[in-house]
Amino acid sequence: MKITFPYMGTTLAYKKFLDLLGHETISPPKPNQRTFDLGVKYSPEFACFPLKVITGSYLEAVEQGAEVIVTSGGHGPCRAGFYGELHRKILHSMGYDVDVIVIDSIRRDFKTVMQNIRRIKGKNSWRKLLWAARLTYRLIKALDDFEMQIQTKAAYEVSKGDCWRTWDKIQGILENIWTDRELEAAQKRCQKIIDQIPIREVPEEEKIRIGIVGEIYVVMESSVNMQIEKVLGDFGCEVRRSHYLSQWLDDNVMPKFLGKSREEEILKKGEKYIQIQIGGHAKETMGHIVDYRDQGFDGVIHLMPFGCLPELVCQSIMPKAMEELNIPVLTIALDEQTGIANNLTRIEAFIDLIKNKKRKRISRAG
Amino acid sequence: MKVGIPKALLYYYYYPFWKKLFEVLGIETIVSSSTSKEIMDKGIEFSVPEICVPIKVFTGHVAALIEKADYILVPRMVSILKDEYFCPKFMGLPDMIRYTVPGAAEKILSPSIRSESDSISDPKHYSEFVDVLGVSAKELRRALKEAEKEWQRFRMLSKQGHVLSDIYRFLEEKEELPEITKEEDPFQVTIGLLGYVYNIYDEFVSMNIIKKLKELGVRIITFEMLDEGEIFRSIRFMRKRLFWTFSNKLLGAGYFFYNNPSVDGLIHVTAFNCGPDSLIGKMLELDSGQYEKPFMTIRVDEHTGEGHLLTRVEAFVDMIRRKKIKMRGALNHENNFSIYGNNAGL
Ligand code: SF4
Ligand code: SF4
Repeated sequence: MKITFPYMGTTLAYKKFLDLLGHETISPPKPNQRTFDLGVKYSPEFACFPLKVITGSYLEAVEQGAEVIVTSGGHGPCRAGFYGELHRKILHSMGYDVDVIVIDSIRRDFKTVMQNIRRIKGKNSWRKLLWAARLTYRLIKALDDFEMQIQTKAAYEVSKGDCWRTWDKIQGILENIWTDRELEAAQKRCQKIIDQIPIREVPEEEKIRIGIVGEIYVVMESSVNMQIEKVLGDFGCEVRRSHYLSQWLDDNVMPKFLGKSREEEILKKGEKYIQIQIGGHAKETMGHIVDYRDQGFDGVIHLMPFGCLPELVCQSIMPKAMEELNIPVLTIALDEQTGIANNLTRIEAFIDLIKNKKRKRISRAG
Repeated sequence: MKVGIPKALLYYYYYPFWKKLFEVLGIETIVSSSTSKEIMDKGIEFSVPEICVPIKVFTGHVAALIEKADYILVPRMVSILKDEYFCPKFMGLPDMIRYTVPGAAEKILSPSIRSESDSISDPKHYSEFVDVLGVSAKELRRALKEAEKEWQRFRMLSKQGHVLSDIYRFLEEKEELPEITKEEDPFQVTIGLLGYVYNIYDEFVSMNIIKKLKELGVRIITFEMLDEGEIFRSIRFMRKRLFWTFSNKLLGAGYFFYNNPSVDGLIHVTAFNCGPDSLIGKMLELDSGQYEKPFMTIRVDEHTGEGHLLTRVEAFVDMIRRKKIKMRGALNHENNFSIYGNNAGL
């Protein structure tokens, strides 16, 4: 049984998990023009962009022989469930006999989730499954932790490209761990490498912090968002994202005994703008903007896929929200034709605006 | 005090309910006039360009009412079936309107509908009415009961096979209901007309496709004429249904039309940029081969030209009619279809 999974963010973690359980995994190529073209060709015309990319990604994986697709039900009443159904149908109509296993949040549909988990567990013992899950979780935590350090340091690197090159290296190192021990050793090594990246000293008041919010797929997957984090780093901005895989796991998979989760807090903050959860991450998007404002970030980039139903609601609200919250927000809609070339000037102007605003504030304070 | 009811979105499905409700509560209502170029332009002005036409239309209707009413009914439709939801734009509609239409923020009256059936008369959705409109809980309960009765009566008319436009003419203008065409005539063309009520029955948006089809002598079946059970039986074969209720109804109706021998062809009226419809269309298109029934998609947006659309409809109906005549009305393909068959290739 050759297993594949949708490409999103640091996929090495999903692969690791399946590898640890002894499955044969096929890692789809990082989404590229061909993926987009395939996806656009075989998906419904007005489906949201992530659905199309994932179609393309699956097609590339089945071309390589994948027989089973494991995917998460995504979040809330939007992507969940039906995507799997449609993808299955599209693939079948093209003559590929693949199975799609959808892992939903365990809190939502316990029975089906357990059934699917059993399938992934295969012949492994429950103990082994648990061990693999724990190790993967720790790996994901480590990855996110390093990535955040990179997202900060990239703003101040002395020689351009250092940080993101280091990030690739780190992923390469972490890809090769098979035990807890190896993970710990690798972590130490990685930390050292990061510490060695030379950076410029920048006074605190000149630092610019940008939060990236929006729909989870386009926020997490750099190949569909024009590598926005890198672009911002090159402009000298520190970056944080509204979604990290470890947080997603904490919010959706981990048992809920630690009281109020971060997710709930964010949702609470979004309530003024969108009262209830309307699917996708719309309410979180608004919540994160409020949260970044509260944390003192200088600006927010709001990424939304073309055709995304819930994010369109955010986009509609944005002008008013921006005014009320007094934080600059730049909405960028993404599809297969969105190149960085078209958006670079907008981003640049946005950063200039933030810098000016900051300078004014500083001179007024001084 | 006056409550404005925008003639858009689910107005077409729930108006008799709202009307009765406010009537019994003794609250005056005002309905916006039918969609026009001006209303459309207002809608375009206040919404983001990429959003689907029906939402633009709704926005326009709210803007048209803003000066004329003290409150405007913008229901938050969350669900009318267990584990299913409305399209996210419905769920976030009051939020969107609040922050886009100038002056709307203080006027929105927004019952929050989370029901487990099409019936939306549970008083718990309307707690806001007690606070904002100052009606008593008891009055509210009574009014809702009456509204529900009225609405059931209205639904019955649909289920007898009348299109909504005729029903409204009957209810509002006291015109007589036309007789329902029987399917006895072997040359009678029957079309399954798929589409959300707010696309099909908004004459501006659909360019009055109903009237056109009637002129062509077509018998029309739409999803709201079917029994809910029937609709869901037709998509039972799917492991997972769509999460969006009305999209499910359309998909179910689509398969019902495919499987029903008296339906000769399907027309899907859909708005540009409607994601849910795009998925339904794809599903039905992928399966259309198996059913050998012509399927046509008509896309509407704020600039669709009438002439072009109507020619296409005409050609489609003609094609079906010619085919029927050629087959001399011999409907012997009935055996090829199992009506509730699970043969959709899954
Ligand atoms: S949230 Fe948006 S992008 Fe994500 S599945 Fe829903 S419509 Fe698609
Ligand atoms: S279902 Fe389609 S047409 Fe209706 S509101 Fe949603 S996107 Fe718009």
